[in-house]
Amino acid sequence: MNDTMSAMVAVLVTWTGVVWYLLRVDRRINRRKDSE
Amino acid sequence: MMDLIRAGAIVLITAVVVLAFTMPPPLASMQSGKEASRIFFFHVPMAQMSFVAFIVAAVYGISYLRTRRVSHDHRAATSAELGLTFSIVASITGALWARQAWGAYWNWDPRQLFLFVMILIYGAFFALRQATGDVEVRRRLSAVYLIMAGAISPFLYFVLPRLYTSLHGDANQVVLSAGSSNMSGAVGAVFASSIIGFALLYVWLLNLGTAAARVGDTVGAATDE
Repeated sequence: MNDTMSAMVAVLVTWTGVVWYLLRVDRRINRRKDSE
Repeated sequence: MMDLIRAGAIVLITAVVVLAFTMPPPLASMQSGKEASRIFFFHVPMAQMSFVAFIVAAVYGISYLRTRRVSHDHRAATSAELGLTFSIVASITGALWARQAWGAYWNWDPRQLFLFVMILIYGAFFALRQATGDVEVRRRLSAVYLIMAGAISPFLYFVLPRLYTSLHGDANQVVLSAGSSNMSGAVGAVFASSIIGFALLYVWLLNLGTAAARVGDTVGAATDE
């Protein structure tokens, strides 16, 4: 795998982590709002 | 609506990540930094969104002073947070590009310098926001600070960098010629998708951050009682 493909995989993995975290926070806040 | 925005941001940015690394680089004709120029697909939209976020923060600051609605204070502070985050990431991605194309991470380039000044200004904002315990004073101070910072940001982003010779000359040419012959159709389309993707991400995070601030206020008030 060349450097460009390695960079793509690294960025994709980071982005997936960011999205996973944001979706988790989003779900938690919406649950909290619904329970208020 | 927010579901659509969220899905749009995730899909568009994921597609841009894949396309940015699989299509020919935007500055294919450059000797140095040819491959690194792929970072433009992320660096430029984030720098642009940081400016938008700072202006939106100032607008909500004005709105808060006029209406005294707490949600507008939350939106102003969240937008400033997002602007700061985007400008830090834009600075880091810019430095990575600078190392490849210009030989050093930091070159005292006007755009690098003025973006760093913006980071300092908005970093100071959060120090100020934490400095007072009185919630009402904090909200008023924040609004005034964000309005003043928002008013000077067009000068730091657009006016001052153009008054000095900038290493960004070649980059400006690429960005400004989006859709013209200098940027092929496919590169222009990915670039436009990236801008839309980051704009949607900003809207999603603005709503998320505002909701989190509201929940935080509720929890804080319940703890104080």
